[in-house]
Amino acid sequence: MIELAGVSHQFRIGKRGKERVVPVLHDINLKVEKGEIVAVVGRSGSGKSTLLNLMSGYIRPSSGEIRVGGQNVTKLDEGEWANFRLANYGFIFQSFQLIGSMTAYENVELPLVLKGIGSGERRAKVMKLLEQVGIAEFANHYPSELSGGQQQRVSVARSLILEPPIVLADEPSGSLDSENEKTLLTMIRQLNHELGITFVIITHDEQVASIAHRAIRLQDGRIGGLA
Amino acid sequence: MKFQDQIRFVRQNMKKNKTRLFMTVLATAMGCTFLIVLASVGFGLQQSMVDNIVGDRLVTAVDLYGKNPDQHKDTNIYDEDIQMFRELADVKAVTYRNNIYQWLNPKVEGEEVGSDKTTQVDFEAETKAGFDLSAGRMPEADNEIVIGYHIREQMDEQGMPTGYEDASEWLNKTMTLEVTYYAAGKKLTEPMEAVIVGVTEIPTKEWNRDKTIYMGVGMLEKIEGITGTRNGELPYFEVENPTAEKIDAALANLPKPSEQRSYQDVQVVASHAEKVKGLVETLRDKGFYTHSIVDELKQVNLMFAIMKIGLIFVGTIAVLIASIGIFNTMTMAVTERAQDIGIMKAIGAHPSVIRKLFLLESAMIGLMGAIFGTVVAYGVSLAVNAGLPVVIKQFMEEEVPADFLFSVIPPYLTALACGISLGVAMLSGYRPALRATRIDVLSALRRDV
Repeated sequence: MIELAGVSHQFRIGKRGKERVVPVLHDINLKVEKGEIVAVVGRSGSGKSTLLNLMSGYIRPSSGEIRVGGQNVTKLDEGEWANFRLANYGFIFQSFQLIGSMTAYENVELPLVLKGIGSGERRAKVMKLLEQVGIAEFANHYPSELSGGQQQRVSVARSLILEPPIVLADEPSGSLDSENEKTLLTMIRQLNHELGITFVIITHDEQVASIAHRAIRLQDGRIGGLA
Repeated sequence: MKFQDQIRFVRQNMKKNKTRLFMTVLATAMGCTFLIVLASVGFGLQQSMVDNIVGDRLVTAVDLYGKNPDQHKDTNIYDEDIQMFRELADVKAVTYRNNIYQWLNPKVEGEEVGSDKTTQVDFEAETKAGFDLSAGRMPEADNEIVIGYHIREQMDEQGMPTGYEDASEWLNKTMTLEVTYYAAGKKLTEPMEAVIVGVTEIPTKEWNRDKTIYMGVGMLEKIEGITGTRNGELPYFEVENPTAEKIDAALANLPKPSEQRSYQDVQVVASHAEKVKGLVETLRDKGFYTHSIVDELKQVNLMFAIMKIGLIFVGTIAVLIASIGIFNTMTMAVTERAQDIGIMKAIGAHPSVIRKLFLLESAMIGLMGAIFGTVVAYGVSLAVNAGLPVVIKQFMEEEVPADFLFSVIPPYLTALACGISLGVAMLSGYRPALRATRIDVLSALRRDV
């Protein structure tokens, strides 16, 4: 499903002409199969988030090749990446990344709006999903009126609204208490089991990693071991 | 993303800072109002000066001298031609003068009238064309006539003109006319009566003397009925008492009233001075010999066009100044919404969608400004036209002509101003919109922008 072949990445820091090159990832070779839950674990600064950002297309690898669903996405331009993300990915972020001026309903609806789906179809889909994640009664609430757990459910609903084959999650339980974390992990397992959605989860939490079929440990920008 | 969703999205965003939105729309509206009002003065002056002061008929009339023989077998102008002229675009009226071809010996209260000709006109068309009276009214009945301003000419003992008496004193008086005709080999006369109901305005050219008797088609047909000839024409004989045979032969050669009438002194009057050029070209294309004062005054249209372009240009500067406000508003909007833009891009919003949303927002500001600005401009225009004559009369003791307009807003000026406001607004929003598409997703998600 997702394949990284010899992917390296380095950041350039400092003013132009006096730049310093900071290598972050070194020769990453990784394959995520369809329907898998893969956890990428490692200490802070190990390159976990950079790896996810490369898979998301937010940054480009300095070298190597990334293939998703058989398609080489390494050289896609910004517009092509946008279309690709909308068609293939759902995103769950640590800090939820909900738009504050939109209600829970509108936040979940946003990917459907971007895809150009009509309002009638949108309403049915959004309400169904909000019910599934258990926050239908908060549909007209703004993010600031919701708890962390409720916001993360909205975020999960938004990531699933277009029924993507892959969900990329960056520290999804990082801002949740243990009870909400448990609920979220149950939800991820259920979605994986029932819908066959592939999950790539970046985490430093062993409990989150425990629900994964596979955990990949990153150490100083290199794959350090498999659990 | 569907257009209706884009509109909804933009409206939602615009509501976030209503005061800033109001001030930006206000600035745009003021710019648009300034542009329209300024240009409307150009349009108003053109309409009022050319159509009213310069003398509308002087400028707007196109004289027709018949048809070009290269294009037409018969060079006369007939009824169907008059009808065709009336159906042309931008024609206000079609007038003609059919002179009576005999001396009618006109008298008022036994006093001989110093008329130089009697002519039949279409009073309805003449009214439309701007045929002005100094006294009385236009004829309504067949037996009513209008007399020229200089018809009461006074002579000295040697028969030289010394001045003119007031023709309006003859209003509502009866003028007697004698129609001469031939019947049964004899020269006879038939009296006719007409009521004077109007006196023409003094001619614009001060060397012109108007001593004409103007009658309607009803009286012409009556004269033609008596003489049996077109325009009351009489045959010319070299001998004093021609024989009956010669009279009959001569009468047989004259055109009859039943034959198709050809028209003289035909004038096609354009609705506006600026339409004359196009009208002349149309008539020439149709094979008519024409002449218009605009032929000599071709620079008139150019002069007004340059003036209007200049005023629109100055007005556009005001809109450009307002555009600084739009640029500022949109730049702030992009900065404030950087995180939202980042989230949208992160989940798959295409950069072109982001650009469209911001361009649409600036266009909506421009559109709202243009609508409000246009409404205010119409109000200002009405106030200027109503108030300025009063102010001029009060402080300068000058009387402004009744139909003089200082400000005229033609629909295409409104469309142009709205187009300029919209275009300038979108141009001002383009750079911020481009900046929005370049927002880095990761920086936005980290709230680093």
